[in-house]
Amino acid sequence: MKKFAIGFCVAITLLLMPWGFYQAIYAAPDEQTMHEVQRIFYYHVPSAMVSFLFFAISLAGSIGFLALRRNHRDRAQAADAWALAAAEVGVVFCTVVLVTGPLWGRRAWGIWWTWDARLTTTLVLWLIYVSYLLLRRFAAGPQMQALAAVLNIFGALDAPIVYMSNRWWRTQHPSPVFGGGADSGIKDPAMLHAFAWNVLAWLAWGLLILALRYHVERQQQKDAARQAQEAIEA
Amino acid sequence: MNQSAVLDHQFTVAAYVLTWAIQLGYLAWLGLRWRAQKRSARRPR
Repeated sequence: MKKFAIGFCVAITLLLMPWGFYQAIYAAPDEQTMHEVQRIFYYHVPSAMVSFLFFAISLAGSIGFLALRRNHRDRAQAADAWALAAAEVGVVFCTVVLVTGPLWGRRAWGIWWTWDARLTTTLVLWLIYVSYLLLRRFAAGPQMQALAAVLNIFGALDAPIVYMSNRWWRTQHPSPVFGGGADSGIKDPAMLHAFAWNVLAWLAWGLLILALRYHVERQQQKDAARQAQEAIEA
Repeated sequence: MNQSAVLDHQFTVAAYVLTWAIQLGYLAWLGLRWRAQKRSARRPR
């Protein structure tokens, strides 16, 4: 049953990815001012949305770890594995955002990068989560998980600042596509469909990778616990 | 096709290729880690 469910999720994702690609490249019309390069939007924005979702999952995992670590050790370890897995996959999606953004910006604005609020806060968010992953990778000792969880909670404070940055400050980055006032939103239904399919496709892809990363991390935790037990018994 | 359209096309292709390279690269790294973990679990202690 479990294998069937996993196979079903993989099959859905493998169908969604080429469909999303087709929608972005062939079905969506050319945008009037930016023309073809605007199609980067269909990978750039869904990646940003998925990275935000995963940083939120990571935050929830870290809060769960701190709340459960004294009385529910196994559940706390599971929460910590979610925190680490979601942060890592979130960094992958955020990297995509930081790579595709300058490519789009170079053609649309004539520059690769500018230190405006949206771009800078996104880079800071990426750096915070990379530092979280480096802490997880290189630090050791019983306090490491708790310290990483606290870093994650403080780091997550940057996520709402990234989201609000082009609402609070005047930025080179375009105004919000959604939730940015009466003028925001995608007007062309074909563009909206292409965007929605790509959000769905990248979300499915991200969740699949997240599940695999969580599985690997849980297995590693169990191996480490077993080795520690064997060392005590020897 | 004018020069601007060619550049637009090249930048779009670059963005899509790099996105897939990052995602598939990460998936490959994760797959290798998973395989190593499975092998080490199977090894007799």
